[in-house]
Amino acid sequence: MLGREEWLPLARKLDWDYSYVREDEVFPEVISGRPWLPHSEWKDWEESFKTSYREYVENQYEKDMAVQAVRDAVGRIENVEKLAAPWLNGLKVHAAALPLAEFTGVIGNLRGARFGRDSAWRTMATFGALDEYRHTQIPLLLFHPLLRLDSQFDWAHKFYHTNNWFAVAARHFFDEITTGQNAIEFHIATNVVLETGFTNLQFVGLASLARESSDHMFERMVTSIQTDEARHAQIGHPVLATVMKHDPRYVQYLVDKWFWRNWRLFSILTGLSTDYLTALDQRPYSFKEFMEEWIIDQFLRTLDEFGLKKPWYWDLLLDELDIYHHMIYASAYSYRATLWFNFVIPGPRERKWLRQKYPKYWDDMDAVWEQISERWRTVGPGPENELAVHGTAMPTFCDLCQLPLSAGTPRKNTARVQVHDGRKYIFCSEPCQWIFLHEPERYASHKDIVKRVLSGEAPAQLPNLLTEYFNLTPETWGKDVHHGDYEWLKDRKDSAA
Amino acid sequence: MPIPLYGFLQGDTVGLLILADESDTLKALAGKLQDAASLRVAARDSVRLVYNDKIMDQAMTVAQAGFEALDRFDVVSG
Repeated sequence: MLGREEWLPLARKLDWDYSYVREDEVFPEVISGRPWLPHSEWKDWEESFKTSYREYVENQYEKDMAVQAVRDAVGRIENVEKLAAPWLNGLKVHAAALPLAEFTGVIGNLRGARFGRDSAWRTMATFGALDEYRHTQIPLLLFHPLLRLDSQFDWAHKFYHTNNWFAVAARHFFDEITTGQNAIEFHIATNVVLETGFTNLQFVGLASLARESSDHMFERMVTSIQTDEARHAQIGHPVLATVMKHDPRYVQYLVDKWFWRNWRLFSILTGLSTDYLTALDQRPYSFKEFMEEWIIDQFLRTLDEFGLKKPWYWDLLLDELDIYHHMIYASAYSYRATLWFNFVIPGPRERKWLRQKYPKYWDDMDAVWEQISERWRTVGPGPENELAVHGTAMPTFCDLCQLPLSAGTPRKNTARVQVHDGRKYIFCSEPCQWIFLHEPERYASHKDIVKRVLSGEAPAQLPNLLTEYFNLTPETWGKDVHHGDYEWLKDRKDSAA
Repeated sequence: MPIPLYGFLQGDTVGLLILADESDTLKALAGKLQDAASLRVAARDSVRLVYNDKIMDQAMTVAQAGFEALDRFDVVSG
């Protein structure tokens, strides 16, 4: 019987020459990706884990048992009930956004498992698909039962099946990066940019936030997922290195494009959780500090290793660290009934902290929160006054990222209108416009929420939009956690009187 | 037929869809945007309306100013 070191290399590197079909028919460029290269250019594809299926199953079993043990110990509803209300709502964001996004990762990896250009790549992508299936199942297992605690957790299953505006944006992103992508772009965009650049480290940061918030179940879940990501993210590096030898400009474009697209989505998911939906005394760092320490420096090192340049919009991105997620949070708060989780207003202590962490633009953001607080002060607290402290005009969305036109600063919004083939588009920022203009055939026919309303596909009246199109109900749509009943608002009212 | 426009009020965190009538004066249009954003931005008495990088005469109507569907306009402190 062959020993492991004898059979494993043979099994992993099982490629052969085709005699009755051409190689480009087995691996068509449209689905394998470009540049199309003969297998001789891919034959040295290698990764360091070199796992066998048996080892994979044994490792995953151990990890699943560890998750199960923590769930049994601290994952019951009575444990979750004790968590701070803002954190619980951050959980609802991740409960909705994470599981089925991971499932699209199954599809992307299976594409690599069939259309990857070397057998070792295809073997690793098979494990990647199994990983992503695990990352779908675990959060569904942990989050969906919380429906008994709070009906907003229903969105763990429901989110991607709705036309909620944030689901439209997330689907636009994941459909492109995973579901409908060729193998080369999928592995560079997902493994190198999304996982190595963002989620691998983001999960370390989220685990730390969860620990501070005493949410040991979530901490264990993201830690367990992160260990898988660290392994299958390795697929993208040798893919990138091979393409780099033949078409470095294309690689630079993919990295620039996908870093921006990832930044847009993850600044919202992580930025809101870190700076608003974690209790002040449980925040280990600001979102900007986390980005600078964990994402920015590490990503620049990765670029350097591959001989790539910083994306052309780098200075703009660094500037956005100070403001973008704050603009989004204030906008989302004022349209909270369009979402499936609840919000809090930053009070005087939080605003003092935010000013300290984000001195560059905080004056402008503070004025916005003062105005929103003033509205609560005028109408008084209570669930019956929720919609009196809510936006009424239709907010607007970017034709690339599908997120609200909330880029730039309160003083100068960076939205820009572009006419393409006789149709008018609007983009939140120069990078979103730049991506669109590079591949208009990919994006031009997609309609953002505003265009759907104007064309009659979606209802124009807010109540109908919420219930008929965004799949929300008065019970599940987002509210202020305290319905405006904040001690500090009362204090200010008393002192004003 | 109302004309849908992208309105950006200085001080606000998001652009808003504003439905303008051709006969609206630009002063009225600026007022519509300020009303729509009043949850987040306190009203200002003195504002300017910027369209195609030009400060507009607020006595003009939307039709006279040549607004077309899905154009951008800004209302800034003046």
